[in-house]
Amino acid sequence: MSDHSDTTNGRLDGQTLVETFPRTSLTADSGSVETVSLPAEPAEQVPADAVLRPGLAASYPYDLFSHQATALDALEAGENVAVATSTSSGKTHVYGLQIARALLDAGVLTPDGSRATERNEAATALCVYPTKALTNDQQTALETLYDRLGLDIRVRVYDGDTTGDRRAIREEADVILTNFAGLNVYLEHHDRWSRFYSALDLVAVDESHSYTGIQGMHVAWILRRMRRVADYWGGDPQYVLTSATIGNPGEHSATLVDEPVTVVDEDGSPSGRRDIVLWNPPPQSQGETETATDDANGSSDSPDDSESVVERVPASVEAPRVFDHLTAHEVRTLLFCPSRKLTELAVRRAAEHRRSNPRAGYGRSPEHEAYNAGLGRRTRHSREHQFKTGALTGLATTSALELGIDIGGLDATVLMGYPGQRQSFWQRVGRAGREGHDSLGVLVADHRTLDQYVVTNPDYLLETDVEDAVVDTSNNSVFATHLLCAADEIAVDESDLGVLAEEDRLRTAVGMWREAGFVDGYVEGGVHYCGPRRPQTRVNLYGNSETDYELRLADGVDTGRWGLPDDLDLEPVTPNRAFRDYHEGAVRLKNGQQFEVVTVDDDRPQPGIELEPVDRDYYTRTRKSINVLDATSETERTVNGFTLHFGHGTVLVDHHSYDKVSVQTNEPREQLLPTENPPIPMETQMCWVEVPDRVETALVRKYREYGVETGVDPDDADPPHLGYVAGLHAAEHATIGTAPLELRVDKDDLGGLATLVLDTHYTREGYEPLAGSVGESMEAATRALERRTARLDEQPSSGWFIYDGVEGGLGFARALYENFEALAERARERLRHCGCDRPNGCPACTFDENCGNNNQPLLRASAVDVLDHLLGDGDTPAAADETGTDGNRPTIFYS
Amino acid sequence: MGDSSRLTLLSVPSSALGGAPEPVRDTLEYFEPEAVVVPGPRDPQVAATVRSQCPEIPVVHPQLSRGGSPVECYRYTPETGVERADTAPSAGGLDVLAVQQVGALPELRRQLERGERETGGTATLVVVPELSVEWDTTTLSTTLPGRDELARIGAVLSGPVTVLAGGQPAGYSHEWSLSHEGSSVSLRMAGLGATTQGGATFAQLTCTAAGTVAAETVDADQFGLTSLTGVGPATAARLRERGCATTADVRDTAVGDLVTLPGVGRTTAERMHAHADVIETGEPLVLTNREPVKTRENRPPLCLDIETDGLAPTIIWQFGVYDPAVDRYEAFLETESPDDPAAVLERFITWLLAEHSDRTVLTWNGNGFDYPVIEQFLRGYLPGYLDAWEGLWTEDLYEWAVRDGNALLPGRTNKLDHVARALGYEDADTGLTGAQTAAAYREFIRQPETSLDWDRHRAYCRDDCVALWHVYEAITGARRRDVTDSGRGGARGQQTGLTDFQS
Repeated sequence: MSDHSDTTNGRLDGQTLVETFPRTSLTADSGSVETVSLPAEPAEQVPADAVLRPGLAASYPYDLFSHQATALDALEAGENVAVATSTSSGKTHVYGLQIARALLDAGVLTPDGSRATERNEAATALCVYPTKALTNDQQTALETLYDRLGLDIRVRVYDGDTTGDRRAIREEADVILTNFAGLNVYLEHHDRWSRFYSALDLVAVDESHSYTGIQGMHVAWILRRMRRVADYWGGDPQYVLTSATIGNPGEHSATLVDEPVTVVDEDGSPSGRRDIVLWNPPPQSQGETETATDDANGSSDSPDDSESVVERVPASVEAPRVFDHLTAHEVRTLLFCPSRKLTELAVRRAAEHRRSNPRAGYGRSPEHEAYNAGLGRRTRHSREHQFKTGALTGLATTSALELGIDIGGLDATVLMGYPGQRQSFWQRVGRAGREGHDSLGVLVADHRTLDQYVVTNPDYLLETDVEDAVVDTSNNSVFATHLLCAADEIAVDESDLGVLAEEDRLRTAVGMWREAGFVDGYVEGGVHYCGPRRPQTRVNLYGNSETDYELRLADGVDTGRWGLPDDLDLEPVTPNRAFRDYHEGAVRLKNGQQFEVVTVDDDRPQPGIELEPVDRDYYTRTRKSINVLDATSETERTVNGFTLHFGHGTVLVDHHSYDKVSVQTNEPREQLLPTENPPIPMETQMCWVEVPDRVETALVRKYREYGVETGVDPDDADPPHLGYVAGLHAAEHATIGTAPLELRVDKDDLGGLATLVLDTHYTREGYEPLAGSVGESMEAATRALERRTARLDEQPSSGWFIYDGVEGGLGFARALYENFEALAERARERLRHCGCDRPNGCPACTFDENCGNNNQPLLRASAVDVLDHLLGDGDTPAAADETGTDGNRPTIFYS
Repeated sequence: MGDSSRLTLLSVPSSALGGAPEPVRDTLEYFEPEAVVVPGPRDPQVAATVRSQCPEIPVVHPQLSRGGSPVECYRYTPETGVERADTAPSAGGLDVLAVQQVGALPELRRQLERGERETGGTATLVVVPELSVEWDTTTLSTTLPGRDELARIGAVLSGPVTVLAGGQPAGYSHEWSLSHEGSSVSLRMAGLGATTQGGATFAQLTCTAAGTVAAETVDADQFGLTSLTGVGPATAARLRERGCATTADVRDTAVGDLVTLPGVGRTTAERMHAHADVIETGEPLVLTNREPVKTRENRPPLCLDIETDGLAPTIIWQFGVYDPAVDRYEAFLETESPDDPAAVLERFITWLLAEHSDRTVLTWNGNGFDYPVIEQFLRGYLPGYLDAWEGLWTEDLYEWAVRDGNALLPGRTNKLDHVARALGYEDADTGLTGAQTAAAYREFIRQPETSLDWDRHRAYCRDDCVALWHVYEAITGARRRDVTDSGRGGARGQQTGLTDFQS
């Protein structure tokens, strides 16, 4: 713990924060707050002239950090390099200096730094950033570096915001900075870039850890297409990837660029002292909210009731208070929120906190605003600027500011809930305390599985191994889309076999597109794109479908009355998001203004959503149900009698209804209002677990008396199986809930389904595929599975599916299949040791806010038993003398 | 019309047709087809509209199943044109077998197998109004509905069989290899364009006895009132309300009356009116006093056209240059080593620089395709000539006339052959399209031991070069009217633009 209590200069350490926070329920000794103090780290440095040529070294005003030196040496040796070190450890200078070296070596610059030639045809560099904001920021950083070095290097941004003479940039720039969405499009007219690509010798991929999941797949293909184009023009670039610390920087980088990569991850940069405050909000005061499930009484297993129903204040309520407290003390703070909606809500709640604590000695009116990608560009730029200049002390942001955009110095970060990954946690916390100053990071825990795990196991955060970033190029849909682009850019021919993709895969995909009419020709003579113009627009980096929904104001809205600009300046949304968040009747908060969706028009090439400004005291939350159809196993393995499968199938997702939730209390006011949307079928990758019959039989028997403990009225369920299936359901939630501990995955990217009749969800002989015939209706799908169950002549397996939540799959289910034992172990630990001690668990162990069954039924004990057996720790079940007691099993499944 | 072995079919997808009959009449007058097919979903309204506009030729719309039969048969001979043919045929001609839907293919197959239906034995077209190839990117596979039946039909019939698939894009052409009883049946498939992909189009299909199909597509809005610059669907509807239903009607309406339409200003009205006149008379109109290209010493420009193997070229395999000054045509082809793009390029560039470095080079859409492609190949293979090439005067007549809005032309698309034809150019009738020449060369790349009909391809390229000269002369000799702002960009955005180009 800290012995400082200094609040000067806009800094506050952990202890002072706790002491000054204006409340009675939370005190330093309440046990809800723990501060971990991380000591300052000194720098490890190497003299610049040990690495750089004398001229450069002389003008470079610093020593190099050891990791910079190592990386530059590896680049000199012709290697590709992934630099995975902390925020603000000088990663930009690695490629910045490499570019400078190359330009000097190529003779584009004279030794005195002036230009030897107007036209650089010898050494160009492409730097790609995850966001436009970061691109602009890094242009400044590179220009500052080159000014200091006295080098006349032309660093230019080329992206969707670029105005002016774009041709001049292509013809004259030494270094071009862009983003992958832009690069994807610019590759089409590569002939205009011939000078640039013919001289290309360095490609820098900044913040490369952010390319995981769907984005990672697209980026991997865009880089492969870029390499074809560079190759065509004679360029042969090396790659530099800069990454936050991830578990697998080498593998991840190599998959992205499709070449071997040398990892540099021994961080030589210094850091100031950092206080990490793990802030578990206090229990809700009576009446602040009703508990969702407090029907656990009456069970023989039920522990002390007073312990079991601790409902804490949600992070979404508590974090804005901390945020406001810090900003009121002039501490420059970022509040990281899990959604755009919550950034808006947080600002409201922070202001509310300021108003309701008049005696806390807070100063003037609050100086915080929301920041998220849903705001238009102008608004975002203005808020960045206001924060930088001090007009704003706090920004409530989404992950949009997680990356290294320079918004000036920062003293503290507040995290509204655990962001899901250690990598992301440290990245966010690392935003504060630049240049070696002390800093503060506050994690306000939510009551979800991961949050509670983290605040009760702070060591987990400090372990060195962080999550793996997953990039998978096996998604055929994404590959097929990029193949069209590649064929449009340069005819695909034999030289692409085994290079762009494996020969069989490439030929198969070309064959498909030729038969469908999108390409002409054969690999032997050249495959040319011939479909509708600009296939690059089919690539959607943030999703996997072609058409985004445009947001616009409904006709006849009186903008003047609402004080709205004529142009709403809102970013379009992906179809998945449109179905989830923008059904008719949905209420969304945008830039402080509530809007209700009045019309969704998806019947035209550019689908649109019409919004009407409203003033409601609720927001809406969508509910979904899911089913799995036609699961086809591609590979399987056996673990202690359990069969694990990896394969593909169709997931039917039905955002069928929504709730209206009070803005004030976060409690639902009206529930299950229909959205009138049809289910969306999604063909994706999945893994699943088949529980062996002997285990199932034993556990059904063991838990046959369980009923109300599962959170379900036994009269509404099928008692003999309830205790067991509740365990499967809980095991499914727990394995999904703990997956982010192993992989860099958003939990929204995964879904699951626990079922007693696994076989009916399969493709197999005698089963007609269901997706095509019943995909229009969830009821029809359920009925079809029931008919199959009725016709089964042998006992089906039980178990649960985990699937990738994106069309075509992301590679997560495959990674989980491969690491299932580790996952099961984490999940079991969580279930066994959760402090809630409730039989059906709590948001910290078994509940999943995405559950389509309202988190019912769930049972921790039988889930732990299932996982015990899977991990080989289960008691050997008694001989199977209870055959026949099983009877007809119900067709039940829970997502 | 045309050669004895060629049948011209016009495809009018029901979805491409708005409510008005005029575009159909306009389209029929323009294409003069032997028969009309209405692919897509069953649509009695559209079928009736089309029939009423061309009572003298058959309208194939088997979706209606007239007479209760799911199969309709037609025969084409140059002497008779297209006729319903429900009796046994004489030899020769082309047969058109149209089924109501994919589900009716077994019935057609049974009729053929039992001999209840006979064909002339030359070439057969099987029209399936809603057939489209389904694809699944997850498994990288396609599904061809009715695949087995089509294979069996292909096996029964003796001559080449071409399936006209209603739901595939016009311009689609693929040779399917289907298996039937252990052997392979080859079926060519072409599209009729009843698809949402790429917008509403009409297509004229030229079908030969050899089983080939060449498609010429025109956007549906290039017919009727919307063919006029400045007239979209809304304005077209308002014009119709005022009794102005055809381009001729617009020409006969005073500009002062057109100005009273909502959203139509003086400039738009003048252009609209002038364009109607151009379309009706076939006489182009130039809207500026400036000359389209600069030339040295009044010597006419060299008219250039190139042929590549596709839109992402691996070779420019033909350079054609027509010199109007001496009425001579020069062609440079690569007929032996398709894997060597440098040789033919060098022959062309050295000849051009040696003989004609002082001449202006003229193309149609050269800034959009030919010039950057030539530059790309020079940069890649012969960089030493780049500077000399860049020193030449290269001009793009398409850009000047169409994109910059300096002229109003009577063509229905901005493709050179359409423009030239509308300006009275009689083409050499090679029966080739740009897509076909590119496809032919791709086959040559794939199998260099085979040989192409080089004379035919040479003639095709020559035709384009000479057509360009024809258009150039038509424009330079055209009426001129300085319609208010005729500067750069005057009509931009109202022309079809680059989508019309397929190399």
